[in-house]
Amino acid sequence: MSNAIEISRLKKSYGNDIVLKEISFQITKGEIFALLGINGAGKTTALECIEGLKNYDSGAITINGKMGIQLQSSSLPAHIKPMEAMQLFAKWNKVKIDDTLIHSLGLREIEKKQYVQLSTGQKRRLHLALALVSNPDIIFLDEPTAGLDVEGRLSLHDQIRNLKSQRKTVVLASHDMAEVETLCDRIAILNDGKIVFCGTASELTNKIGKKYFIHIKTGRGSETFEADNIENVLLSLLGELKQKGTKVLDIKVDRGTLEQHFMEMARRAEE
Amino acid sequence: MRAFLYGVALQWKLDIRSKSLLVTCYIVPLTFFLLMGGIFTSVMPEMKGTLISSMIVMGVSMGAFIGLPPSLIETYGSDIKKVYKANGVPLYLGLVTMVISAFVHLMIMCIIIFLLAPILFEAALPTNLPLFFLALAIYVIVSLSIGSILGLVVKNQAKLTMIAQLVFLPCIMLSGIMFPIELLPKTFEIIGEIFPASWGYKLMIDGGFRLENLWYLLLVFVAAIIVCGILLKKQKSK
Repeated sequence: MSNAIEISRLKKSYGNDIVLKEISFQITKGEIFALLGINGAGKTTALECIEGLKNYDSGAITINGKMGIQLQSSSLPAHIKPMEAMQLFAKWNKVKIDDTLIHSLGLREIEKKQYVQLSTGQKRRLHLALALVSNPDIIFLDEPTAGLDVEGRLSLHDQIRNLKSQRKTVVLASHDMAEVETLCDRIAILNDGKIVFCGTASELTNKIGKKYFIHIKTGRGSETFEADNIENVLLSLLGELKQKGTKVLDIKVDRGTLEQHFMEMARRAEE
Repeated sequence: MRAFLYGVALQWKLDIRSKSLLVTCYIVPLTFFLLMGGIFTSVMPEMKGTLISSMIVMGVSMGAFIGLPPSLIETYGSDIKKVYKANGVPLYLGLVTMVISAFVHLMIMCIIIFLLAPILFEAALPTNLPLFFLALAIYVIVSLSIGSILGLVVKNQAKLTMIAQLVFLPCIMLSGIMFPIELLPKTFEIIGEIFPASWGYKLMIDGGFRLENLWYLLLVFVAAIIVCGILLKKQKSK
């Protein structure tokens, strides 16, 4: 399968501070790809260099297809109305506005409001519509569901899945691990300007090791234990609790969430 | 071209919705004109000959130095400028559309003063209308070019309010529109010459459209365009 984006040895610095340390990765056409990183990891800088919004020091970025960029809230004039922004973007890109886009993102309901009067969810929908107005092949979404309620979040997830079904490539930056886990085909984790992992969520789990999380609920409360060897640790914990006369109400064992793996990966990278 | 024209028309509408430009381009200058026009012409009847020019210089200076820069900060001091980059639109286009829109608003305000002054205060109309409007257009453009520098240099609204007043107040007080410039101490007279208002005023009054009153405005305009170009290039390379 051919690549939509190829990043090779991308370096970016602000003065003496090197934010991206020659990172390399590829994004395949038609996949949903997430760029993860804690604050200050270089995630937004990387995304903005790829989008062409920022200059970079060295390296190469190859983009195969037309880009659509969903900017964060506050990137439109306060008094502009949704359809005016759509018209302006359409004229800049020399395209006509697709009516289905307006209907699917519910822009008719908010067409009389000014940008400053829109809710967070409405702004996100508008920014997604603006990113899609030129019918791009690759769509960049920066924190697409930040500040949205559950309903708004699920609705936007459907929109993103819909883009994938149209064979579009979606690149998103997100802090929401659950969102990344459910939506994305592959993820790249940035830490201190370096890519510390690039692959699928299950590959990340395997890389972290056979770590299990044991959640035990007793009359005194709940506690979570980490274990590489589940049998030994579980038996030892149960024995200890029995000795103390503590009644076990519930036991749950899992392989951990993506968030836990992400934190573990970041911790290892720091070591 | 269609995108550019749509952008200008849209900016014009946005300026009307934005209360700050409405206040600085229409409400304050026209209120000032109605008040001061009455006072000036009754205290000093000889001001009827220069009332239109002096009130226009005041209104244009306010709109250009105090009205335009906040719109520029809204775009160039925030993430809005990324919208241009993301759509492959040159950064200067935002500045150009805002300046054209402000130019139209200021010309409308000036025409209102031009039409009302003779009716309300028996102000004398300029004898050579084409030259008067040419001088007016030049002064508006030069003032907007200075306003553009303010909007691109200053990064926040609070600082801008202070700096804009530092340009606007001496510009008006020392330009000769309130009282004859000859009454000022020599130092103030020289300082007044630095600001474009005194040159614009001289250019607009009858018989004033001469190269000796025009060269300084052209110089300021060219310098402002160069400075704006440098500032935009700096923003682009960030």
